[in-house]
Amino acid sequence: MNIVARVGATALALSLIAAGPVWAQTRIEFFFPVPVEGKLAREMTRLVKLYNDSQKEVEVTAAYTGSYDDTKLKAQAAAKAGKPPSVVLMSANFLVDLKLSGDIISLAPELKADGTTREEFLKDFWPALHANATVDGELYGVPFQNSTPLLYYNVDQFKEVGLDPNKPPRTWFELVDAAKKLTKDDRYGFLMAEGYDYLGWLMETFTLSNGGRYYNEDYGGEVYYDQPSTLGAARFVEDLVFKHKVMPQGVTEAGGVSTAFFAGKASMVLLSTGTLSFIRENMKQAYNVAFVPMNVRNAVPIGGASLVMFAGQSEESKKAGWKFIKWLTTPQTLGGWSRFTGYFAPRRSSYDMPEMKEFLAKNPDAKVALDQLPYAKPWFATYQTVAVRKALEDEIQAMLNGKKKAADAVKDAQKKADELMRPYVEQTSLKVP
Amino acid sequence: MSVASTSSVDLALGERRAGRPRRLHLLGFALLAPSLLFLALFTYLPVVRVAIESLYDTPHGTGAAAAFVGLGNYAKVLSDPAFRQAALNNLVYAVGVLAPTLVLALGFALAVQRSSRFSTVLRTVFFFPSLVPLVAAASLFFFIFLPGVGLLDYYLGKLGIRGPNWLGDSDIALWSVIGLTVWKNAGYYMLFYIAGLQNVPRDAVEAAMIDGANAWQRLRFVILPALAPTTAFVTVIALIQLLTSVDHVIVLTRGGPSNATNLLLYYIFQSAHENFDYGKAAAATLISVAILLAISFGSLRVMERGARGDG
Repeated sequence: MNIVARVGATALALSLIAAGPVWAQTRIEFFFPVPVEGKLAREMTRLVKLYNDSQKEVEVTAAYTGSYDDTKLKAQAAAKAGKPPSVVLMSANFLVDLKLSGDIISLAPELKADGTTREEFLKDFWPALHANATVDGELYGVPFQNSTPLLYYNVDQFKEVGLDPNKPPRTWFELVDAAKKLTKDDRYGFLMAEGYDYLGWLMETFTLSNGGRYYNEDYGGEVYYDQPSTLGAARFVEDLVFKHKVMPQGVTEAGGVSTAFFAGKASMVLLSTGTLSFIRENMKQAYNVAFVPMNVRNAVPIGGASLVMFAGQSEESKKAGWKFIKWLTTPQTLGGWSRFTGYFAPRRSSYDMPEMKEFLAKNPDAKVALDQLPYAKPWFATYQTVAVRKALEDEIQAMLNGKKKAADAVKDAQKKADELMRPYVEQTSLKVP
Repeated sequence: MSVASTSSVDLALGERRAGRPRRLHLLGFALLAPSLLFLALFTYLPVVRVAIESLYDTPHGTGAAAAFVGLGNYAKVLSDPAFRQAALNNLVYAVGVLAPTLVLALGFALAVQRSSRFSTVLRTVFFFPSLVPLVAAASLFFFIFLPGVGLLDYYLGKLGIRGPNWLGDSDIALWSVIGLTVWKNAGYYMLFYIAGLQNVPRDAVEAAMIDGANAWQRLRFVILPALAPTTAFVTVIALIQLLTSVDHVIVLTRGGPSNATNLLLYYIFQSAHENFDYGKAAAATLISVAILLAISFGSLRVMERGARGDG
């Protein structure tokens, strides 16, 4: 008995010594998705370790949580079970819904504690990113990795059909001309990702470059699916398939698009700048990148993810989480992550750093993606973002399958979207004295 | 807890020796208790909670509290065209997978029922797809189905056929998913038929042979009736599996194009996690649980009848 007691006391003493420094630390959890490849997960783990080793107050446990959708699900599930993660890297267009469902918290108190304002804090971030970081005038997310659509084209095939690879198509008319020349029996001149999520993003792309707004960036209850700008975009896509016959009928997922590009079966493809590293590593033939062709103006939507904080955590944990967010979004960290992944860095000052200038000089394709940024606009986000987005996607997919005409597709999509947003609209803009 | 249950078992055993059989129930319940507890905690309780949740509506984002709406969520689900399409898709999917799966599984079983080195190899080949997790199989088939550059189109191209857009054409996508599922399941159900074939009375088959029945007649009039319980069992297991796994749909199409491959379970997932409509998701869940129960009860009765007929 005596021995047992003595062993017990020693063990207790030892554990106290071991636990000593831990007491002073705040442990927080960080959920992050990796939409593209496994090596990004390793890089993120390395960053978190770097942070943990650099200071003593906060100990971050990083959890890789799958895709963007999975990450949202797991974070919500953990919050429901009473153990919300402190910081989550969240797809930027979920912010409105997550704010409305009360899952994420406003970062305004943290800004206030730091003696700064939202405007001041966001000043260094690209202007197009501000809207997706803000809900109802308050900061809810800090942009971390961002992308825009980009036109990738096969240089060898351009030469083969007598097109100048240094003059990629700049307008929709030039795009159709080039695509017609490039299309051969088993090769398509143009291909775009048409699966759920991607299709909505690319339809926004065409609508924006057709001069449209697509949705109300300031209010979550309005979309402009049946307006001329969206109708024109839909008709353009429909004609690419059925009139010009430069794009296959039916839906092609993003994985099919990049594979067809690598195999030389598609000469021009519309994909994300986030795919740039992937294309650079896998494309055997010569390729180049260009701005998304326009009809009325140059414009592209932003995509990507922001760091958010979940509701239900202690004040201490909030402070620690905010500290970590600030470390992750320094110009240095963001620049390094951008060079590693191919996403662009959300902070403008990241590009003033010498290592970034060197990188851009070595990779002119990354420079094109950067030059397109001043034309970027916010990413689609409404009440019930996914369902409202899907309302249009389902109709466009039917159109791509030859089951519907563009005019009916956008009209039906608008009807469905209005129905979905009605509960919110009635509680907000239609609630008048 | 463990002390209490041991003593009650001791008690029950003691009583039994004393010759009071009524106390036997105690032993029975004591033995059942652990699994009953877990069943209650992880199966029945969630079902009850979902049932309650299906009667309430919490409008997303309006800040309103959960309101009791009675059967309102059920009405909403049943009048939702997306639900009706998912239900119809699920029906086509279930029948479309089940029929070829049963035929193939029986065919495989008949081909490999005798033990020889060759048939052992064949069994392994047929069974192999069941060992591949559904998600992995779907990722594999993503590349097989790729339009133009995929494996399937590559070989069709050698025959001079231009394949359709397997997963991107809304008329074909569901059938592609069905094809993948048949490939995946047939080998597994073959195992049940191999076991079932061992129980077909040899003398009946031999008697039929002496009576001059040819192979088809033996199969049709002797072997198939003897396999009826196996078929009934496989049908139930397969139907339940077809209603409860959508991994491949998530990997391949996420229900698209235009909901053409959306199945009930994925519809429920979308309602809850994409559209924040938990009441609707709960109602749809209960509807599919009801379908599952109906299938199980219906076929259990058929099976019992089959078993009795056999005896």
